[in-house]
Amino acid sequence: MRSGSVGLRPAALLFGLLLSSAFAQEDTLRHAIELHQKGDIAAAIPEYRAYLKQVPNNVMARSNLGAALARVGQYEDAIVEYNKALEAQPANLPVRLNLALAYYKASRISQASDELAKVVAAEPSNKQAVYLLADCDLRLGENKKVIDLLSPVEKQSPNDKALLYMLGTALIRDHQTDKGQILVDRILRDGDSAEARLLLGATKMSVSDFSGALGDFKRAVELNPQLPDVYSYYGMAMAATGDTPGAAVAFRKELEANPNDYTSNVQLGILLKQDQDYAESRKCFQRAEKVRPGDAAARYQLATLDLQDGHVDEARKALEKLTAEIPKFIEAHVSLATVYYRLKRKEDGDKERAIVLRLNEEKQAAEPGAKGK
Amino acid sequence: MKLAILAILPVALSAAGPAGDAACATCHATETRHARVTPMARALETVADCAILKSHPDLSYQEGPYHAEIKRRGSESILTVTQGDQTLTVPLLWAFGLGQAGQTYVFEYHGAMYESRVSFYNQLGKLDLTMGAMGSKPQDIEMAAGRKMDSLGARDCFSCHSTGAVSGGKLHLETIVPGVGCESCHVGSGKHADAVKAGDAAAAKIAHLASLPSEDVSELCGRCHRTWSQIALNGPRGVNNVRFQPYRLANSKCYDAADARIRCTACHDPHGVLQTDLAAYDTKCTACHSAALHTKVCPVAKANCAGCHMPKIDLPGAHAKFTDHQIRIARAGAPYPN
Repeated sequence: MRSGSVGLRPAALLFGLLLSSAFAQEDTLRHAIELHQKGDIAAAIPEYRAYLKQVPNNVMARSNLGAALARVGQYEDAIVEYNKALEAQPANLPVRLNLALAYYKASRISQASDELAKVVAAEPSNKQAVYLLADCDLRLGENKKVIDLLSPVEKQSPNDKALLYMLGTALIRDHQTDKGQILVDRILRDGDSAEARLLLGATKMSVSDFSGALGDFKRAVELNPQLPDVYSYYGMAMAATGDTPGAAVAFRKELEANPNDYTSNVQLGILLKQDQDYAESRKCFQRAEKVRPGDAAARYQLATLDLQDGHVDEARKALEKLTAEIPKFIEAHVSLATVYYRLKRKEDGDKERAIVLRLNEEKQAAEPGAKGK
Repeated sequence: MKLAILAILPVALSAAGPAGDAACATCHATETRHARVTPMARALETVADCAILKSHPDLSYQEGPYHAEIKRRGSESILTVTQGDQTLTVPLLWAFGLGQAGQTYVFEYHGAMYESRVSFYNQLGKLDLTMGAMGSKPQDIEMAAGRKMDSLGARDCFSCHSTGAVSGGKLHLETIVPGVGCESCHVGSGKHADAVKAGDAAAAKIAHLASLPSEDVSELCGRCHRTWSQIALNGPRGVNNVRFQPYRLANSKCYDAADARIRCTACHDPHGVLQTDLAAYDTKCTACHSAALHTKVCPVAKANCAGCHMPKIDLPGAHAKFTDHQIRIARAGAPYPN
């Protein structure tokens, strides 16, 4: 008996200790949630972390920590926490949606799109995910994907302006101007709107009517300066009509509201490069490449900046890779020829020039009105 | 109806040639003296100093319903364009070029710079359309006066036709010295001169352009005469690229980016006036093509190589012939190699 009672005591103690520890842990979590709900995010984060140190597999706490981190702009840390939560519960759609949002905010649009596609596949009726996925794919230049995604939804919600706007944008960018125009007309039915003006302007841009487009974008800005892409398009029309200082201002305004805008980053980068502000230009192209990882235009521009800055070998590597991936990339061949000459690799330089001349001939032969066409 | 009379004058300028060049002349007197009389050194003039406008005080051009006049008034030349009861009057500010392939004027209108729609051509002795204006019809009186230049375009024009006009990638007319001066090519020559004066040999180091390889010389001259890359990427195609010599030269079969015998400065003295005697260039050709070197020699002639192998090409609208720098066997009737 004695020995039995002696044997029981540590177990009871251990149980008691565990129980009180569990209570303490739950208190920590409860406290973290209270702080989170009150908006004291800075205080909530260490509480969550303290709790998760003890209970690492609590998905809800892990997800809450991710949300708190995202709330204070620590998107990369939030992504780590959401991914850990999803390791434990891969089917947790709200967490995956939050992960996608964190990727989006961190300018990792391609990864955001991947996660959103998973959410939409599991829950096609999730409008927030569908719209966000469409937005990501528009930014990635995946216009056909947007058309495939939104066309069925548009039949169910024919008056949804946001949807019509995104679908119209994708159609116009995909050169399906007639179909895009129908959506513009439907948006215009409710009166003049920034969305309609933006689409109208984009349609005009697609047929090189830059001064016509400029008027529409100006009106769109007046109607709703917060509309995503409005300043980006306005800037492009300004640049096309010779107002490069105005274009730079417009691109900067777009980037203030939307640092992930690929077009504004690339276009502003080009303008800054022309202004010989190479350091700022580089930042723009780097952001553009972050938004569209592997993007050839951004990589090409970065390579030309390397060449400009005297980092000839870095430029060579990047340009060789680009020309291997895209053999008809004339600009890259031109720059690569310059790189080879700088590196005293005359024969390679000559080869690149010969490629450029051949590609230019092919391009000319394919142009409308070329002899034999 | 009178639209506008603007009286914006260019910044007061020294009439004695590029200011920075005086410092260079202290040590490089011969080069500086020779360079000062070249057309490049006079690639830009203020209207007050413009010899063509002084000697042609009353110029006019009719284009459909638009009538353009450039009249001298004291040290000013005033462009007036009229159509019906509409008139646009502006003082010209700058004269670009010396008329060999056109002298084009720049004026300011409503705060922006404009390139005149008409240019003066030596061969004609009068005004005609500016090359860039050919093929377009003016839609209004403003367009009949000129083309609005964007900031980059203006910067690039002044950058090539003057010295010290661009810093930090921006156009600064307050520091402009008209014409191509020493510092246009010899970047950093101001600092070099200061360092020499101070006896600081290390700081006085400056790039020795004469020792640049062919390709680098092409890049240097191509900053204004256009590089091979610029034309290969953006055109123009066809005969319109004949005036972009570094591009044409690089397309020559005999061009060798690593051979100093075929670079711009192998034939042209950058500090001197253009040699127009064809025979003077023969030694440049025979530096490579000679029986002694066991290389290809011309079976047709022994002199004036450039006359056949670098034909002169009429550039539409320029009222001038340009020497095609794509060295080749030019056969009669063969298309222009692009």
